[in-house]
Amino acid sequence: MPRYLLGRIIATIPVVVLITVLVFLLIHAAPGDPADLLLSEEASAADIAEARHRWGLDQPIYIQYGRFLANMASGDMGISFRYADPVISLIGERLPATIELAIASMLIALIVGIPLGVWAGAKPNSWADNLGSVVGFFGISMPSFWLGIMLILIVSGYFNWLPSSGRSTYGVATGYDTGFYIVQSLLSGNMKAVWDGIKHIIMPAVALGTAMMGLIMRVTRSSVLEIMSEDFVRTARAKGLGENRVLWRHVLRNALVPVITVVGLELGTLLSGSIIIETVFAWPGSGSLLISAIQSRDYPLITGTVLTYTIAFVVINFAIDFLYALIDPRIRFGK
Amino acid sequence: MKRATRRLALLLMGSIAGSGTFGFTKTAEASGQVAIGVTETIASYNPYADSISMGYAIWCQVYGCLGFFDYNKGDYAGMLAERWEVDKADKNIWTFHLKRGVKRQNDGKEFTAEDVVHSINRINTDPQSKQKQNISPIKEAVALDKHTVKIVTKEPTASLLEFLFDRLIISAKDLYDTHGARDVDRKYPWGWGPYKLKEIVIGQRIVLEKDATHPDAKPQNPDTLIFNIMREPEQRVTALLNNEIQIAQFIPPHLGERVKGGSNVALVPASSVEIMFLAMSPKYKPWDNTKLRQAVCHAIDRDLIITNVLKSQADRLDGPIGPGQYGYDAEYTKKNLTVTYDPAKARELVKASGYNGEPIYLDTPVGRYINDKEVTEAMIPMLNAVGINARLRTPEWATLWADVQRGKTPFYYMGRGSVVDPSVALSQYFETGGSPRIGISDPQIDKALATERVTFDPAERKKALNLAFKAIEDAAPACFMWRHHMLYGRSKSIEYKPNPGGRIFGTEIVVKQ
Repeated sequence: MPRYLLGRIIATIPVVVLITVLVFLLIHAAPGDPADLLLSEEASAADIAEARHRWGLDQPIYIQYGRFLANMASGDMGISFRYADPVISLIGERLPATIELAIASMLIALIVGIPLGVWAGAKPNSWADNLGSVVGFFGISMPSFWLGIMLILIVSGYFNWLPSSGRSTYGVATGYDTGFYIVQSLLSGNMKAVWDGIKHIIMPAVALGTAMMGLIMRVTRSSVLEIMSEDFVRTARAKGLGENRVLWRHVLRNALVPVITVVGLELGTLLSGSIIIETVFAWPGSGSLLISAIQSRDYPLITGTVLTYTIAFVVINFAIDFLYALIDPRIRFGK
Repeated sequence: MKRATRRLALLLMGSIAGSGTFGFTKTAEASGQVAIGVTETIASYNPYADSISMGYAIWCQVYGCLGFFDYNKGDYAGMLAERWEVDKADKNIWTFHLKRGVKRQNDGKEFTAEDVVHSINRINTDPQSKQKQNISPIKEAVALDKHTVKIVTKEPTASLLEFLFDRLIISAKDLYDTHGARDVDRKYPWGWGPYKLKEIVIGQRIVLEKDATHPDAKPQNPDTLIFNIMREPEQRVTALLNNEIQIAQFIPPHLGERVKGGSNVALVPASSVEIMFLAMSPKYKPWDNTKLRQAVCHAIDRDLIITNVLKSQADRLDGPIGPGQYGYDAEYTKKNLTVTYDPAKARELVKASGYNGEPIYLDTPVGRYINDKEVTEAMIPMLNAVGINARLRTPEWATLWADVQRGKTPFYYMGRGSVVDPSVALSQYFETGGSPRIGISDPQIDKALATERVTFDPAERKKALNLAFKAIEDAAPACFMWRHHMLYGRSKSIEYKPNPGGRIFGTEIVVKQ
């Protein structure tokens, strides 16, 4: 097990380095210059040249990349051109908002998607199956940004049920230094802030999680259908177990392995999907940070944020591999 | 575990019940709190690390500025500066007399000339500064006494106030010396403005709280100002209609009807000081031909575009500036600067220019300015109709702007914001060596601009500026199009008239009782 873990960690190093090379090259190859975009339109050519020199942009790209790698080795992702703060602290401030949103989206997707999938799979070709399929296809085919805008217009604009954007209301809670607004409010017993956080997160989480919900529903349905015809299900029924017990205890557990694979893959998609949803809902997470970094060609911040996303993907994949073993004892590592 | 879950559920239900309603409505009257949906965000606690309109407005009302342009009077007015003058013998020397007895928020320390000098020095030396262009004409700044500052310019600059007023943020020297740059910005953002900085959540909101003891802060001004970052127009309009915010900035014309339909909100137009123009770089053929450039200006029916594409939410520009901007002379403009829509004349000019019908590309940003793509789409058939084989290109803003900055774009639609005194903008675009953006070199324009810069008598300077406008129009490196109306949504629970500079000041907002 430790050998397997070490091997996986070593294998990720070239992946991360390759990603930094690609991001670095691509963003430098893109037209546009940070100094042009970040200084005001009154700035003279001399002001722009001075800023480029200050940010090291007048150096050849291999020197800029070498400096970036050297800094990275000491845990320093550089200073953002736009925000004039260390990249690592900027990401640290924004990432919890994205994680909170991703978790909320995943919970919505799991809570709705799995029961619907089980229900549809257990009763194929019934009205329940048809309803589940419609909901599943709706989720998969709906672009998240469009759904987000529709939610703003209907839920917020028409019914005035939920706030249209942002993450919190000013004055409800202060001093939340971890960045996990709902969790920290919950732990400190500030239920007004918890409710405020929930009201703000519902719409972006639904918009982001709907596609995942649809996919989970479809995968769960086909997996349940397949498992239902296995011998052990017949045995369980022959033993006299109730249908619900067979379904939720025996069938679901075995049907979950492909679902977990999908959840793992989709969790990464949730992180990247949040880039658009955060913009639509003015959610102050790392996705909107990346968008603003790209718009202003803030090279250190773009590289740092993409690197963080890469590492998050790798960690999620690790976690999924371990979950396989927990769910299915036949799976062993390193063999 | 089960008990804990049940308790949590009960707590949540209790809090929902306690909140009274599922609806989400806040009112300005109830709290003296006014929330504003804005499109830009400041990026840092450092007041010198941004160069955006909203940043200047926020820091100006927290730390304080020397002065501002009063759009109602059409002239500059003091904030922390009481008066100012230029030395009669040496036009490089300006003296600013500062207000006395202005007390700092939180500790009551008096504002002094040392703070002004410190602020200029910090803009120049702070590695995070993005405001060096604002002090570029300054050679040195000296505190003559506690309340007098001498500013020496590198060369006579009649438009110095355009550089400094509501842009030079005055921060405290003593706090900086004691705490250093990072801590002073984050922990001691104490200034001499009417509002105190209460909270910054970068990317989400900035909160200011009224300093009730400040002489400019009146009881009817909002106690708390919340600038919520909302980039999407739909979001701002929805939030306004829900009363989540009381002011929504920059509403596009197509959403204006939705705001008009709201029972508790009003749509408020304000003219802007952003001039929109079509630029033609004489460095490139066929734009080296003056007649062809003039033909473009006669070929475009600006009134038609304003009415149909911009839904009448713009004012036509005759000459580079319009009413309310420094140097505007209605009579002179009418007589000398009006370029008529005249396709027959445009066709003649095209013929006389010897233009051979080669394709010409008009570059436009998309989504940067109001209906920019639609506006330029409407221009193409107008240009084609007079014999100019024009085609539209829509590069991404970062690409277009970088190319314009380097003088690589021959023909483009663009705006120049914050033009109060036009001297700086005109020099940048039309004077030899001003910048590569258009790249024209015309002795008449150069002479006219150089003259207005060293003319300090206001009446004489306005005349000199108008002569510069005429020289520019004759050479036609650009066709001046219009100034957009900025549309604001406003809750009827407040009174607010937006100013053309786009800066939102709490002291200009009144919460109705």
